[in-house]
Amino acid sequence: MAILEVKDLRTHFFTREGVVKAVDGISFTVEAGKTLGIVGESGCGKSVTALSLMGLIPKPPARIVEGSVNFLGRDLTTFSERQLEDVRGREMAMIFQDPMTSLNPTLRIKTQITEVLDRHYGYSKDDAVRRAVELLEEVQIPRAAERLRDYPHRFSGGMRQRVMIAIALACSPKLLIADEPTTALDVTVQAEILDLLEELRREHEMGMMIITHDMGVVAETADEVAVMYAGQIVEQAETQELFDRPEHPYTEALLGALPQLEGENVREGRLRSIPGRPPDLIAPPPGCRFAPRCPHANLQDGCVDQLPELRPIRPGHLVRSRHPAGERQMVPA
Amino acid sequence: MSVDPREAVATGTAAPAIADLAAQAGRPVHRASLWRDAWRRYLQNRGAVIAGAVFLLFVLFCLIWPFVTPYDIRSDPVNFQQSYEGPSVKHPLGTDQLGKDLLTKLALGGRISIAIGVGATLAILLIGVVYGSISGFAGGRLDNAQMRLLDALYGLPYLPFAIIVLAIIGENNLWTMVIALSIASWFTAARIVRGQIITLKENDYVRAAKAVGARWYRILSRHLLPNTLGVLIIAIFLELPGVILGEAFLSFIGLGISPPDASLGSLAQEGRAVYRVHPNVIAIPSIAIAVLVLCANFIADGMRDALDPRTRETKEH
Repeated sequence: MAILEVKDLRTHFFTREGVVKAVDGISFTVEAGKTLGIVGESGCGKSVTALSLMGLIPKPPARIVEGSVNFLGRDLTTFSERQLEDVRGREMAMIFQDPMTSLNPTLRIKTQITEVLDRHYGYSKDDAVRRAVELLEEVQIPRAAERLRDYPHRFSGGMRQRVMIAIALACSPKLLIADEPTTALDVTVQAEILDLLEELRREHEMGMMIITHDMGVVAETADEVAVMYAGQIVEQAETQELFDRPEHPYTEALLGALPQLEGENVREGRLRSIPGRPPDLIAPPPGCRFAPRCPHANLQDGCVDQLPELRPIRPGHLVRSRHPAGERQMVPA
Repeated sequence: MSVDPREAVATGTAAPAIADLAAQAGRPVHRASLWRDAWRRYLQNRGAVIAGAVFLLFVLFCLIWPFVTPYDIRSDPVNFQQSYEGPSVKHPLGTDQLGKDLLTKLALGGRISIAIGVGATLAILLIGVVYGSISGFAGGRLDNAQMRLLDALYGLPYLPFAIIVLAIIGENNLWTMVIALSIASWFTAARIVRGQIITLKENDYVRAAKAVGARWYRILSRHLLPNTLGVLIIAIFLELPGVILGEAFLSFIGLGISPPDASLGSLAQEGRAVYRVHPNVIAIPSIAIAVLVLCANFIADGMRDALDPRTRETKEH
């Protein structure tokens, strides 16, 4: 069952220099109990996508100009701020990139957890504290009852991210959006947090969206992956399928830029980088947005002047390219 | 089960469980709080400590002395035999024209001056916090309109503005003085608060609070205002001297507290007529005003170093 269905979402920023098309027509669904990974480099629109779903984009300058966000049968883009406030934290929760700054340094952990319970359930103080202890235990913070009285500066980065997760889980949301949940953490802590998220997702039967630039994180957690580039989804498939048979030249390049330690055909030599820079989102290229950096793009195929459609190349595998890997042999080089 | 490992080691009793040790490991023995840190830094500033002590002593003197003294300024009979006496054991600071004890008058005047100073400062903060936080939090057009209004008000001279407000109210007592002085000088406080709110509202934890559905008033009252507390405390002691001086000036020119009540300013006014012959009558309240103002400035300085260590100029030892 799909709990979230995003259709043709476009979020644009209206700035003095022009309209920045940060998210430009993306569609995806998140199933209950499944994890969707959204990967892409900085500035490709993945965080704006998440914030658009939550209704947290800064308006002005940003505005959702088109599309629908169908969440549990309701279109969130038509919701007022008041209605959105009731959805946020209760049915759809989010954890942010930097746990060091996402907790208010002047409030005890207790206050910050019970705040949510009070806001959405109107729990009494005792009930809220009892539930807060449960939540901290659930995210595996030792001596939970005692630590509730502490201020955030007494927690390490990983512990703070656990607190953030506890806050997000307080109302048992149907959808959890994790925006770069491990980027600011030590590598050793990263794995623990990802395991914890995975475990909690299974227990609570939540749908989850993990937004990251780290292919490794996606490989570990996601059931399905959408690769974003310049505000659009360029490839979408089940995780195993995507890693085994990447079709879009950009996905191939991303995977090529990862170090490999083991596997059947381990690459030799230096890691490959992608030449060039991502396009300007005020005036994106009229054709395929990856064309200026693509090794396979050529003038005859309309790569430069016609935007390719996102089309199925295999069942459940979508790609937005004229030269996906699977069809490349047919095209004369 | 919760054996404190430090205790256990000291007494040589049961060895603590490994889990307990591990749980205790990340935990420093001393709990350092923001306020304790600030207090420590404040104590390092000798001028601020002395100023704080003097200020506190003067306030205590003003509060307690009128109960201790044998003299009652209101009901003691007028005694021209002892008018303008110099300092003596009976009257440590001498007497005034009516033969009344100047030390007791100083305490009573100090009470009124401090009450007006503190009252007006709190009123300034109240107006400033409300106006400034709305402006900073709302942003956009409302913020713009509020700030332009403030710019216009800034153009008004402080004391004439207060005098006009007093004239409009048409009564001179403690409360009208508080109102007049605060209405004429809340602008800076409003700007300080607005600036703080604008900086603070960009914090990630504000976005995180929004992400759990917190409403605007909750975000403002729980997440933003408490973080401006340090700046507000500094602002209190920065505003205080200005208000005390303003009150003294108004009372000195006869527009402030009217008899039988007296503030430090009106005490100085009484001494003005005889300052050549009996300089102590004008000197005593004047020195008291100067000391109060100086102390408040030193305290503000110490508070700023203590509560906002980033802006401090002196090096930590």
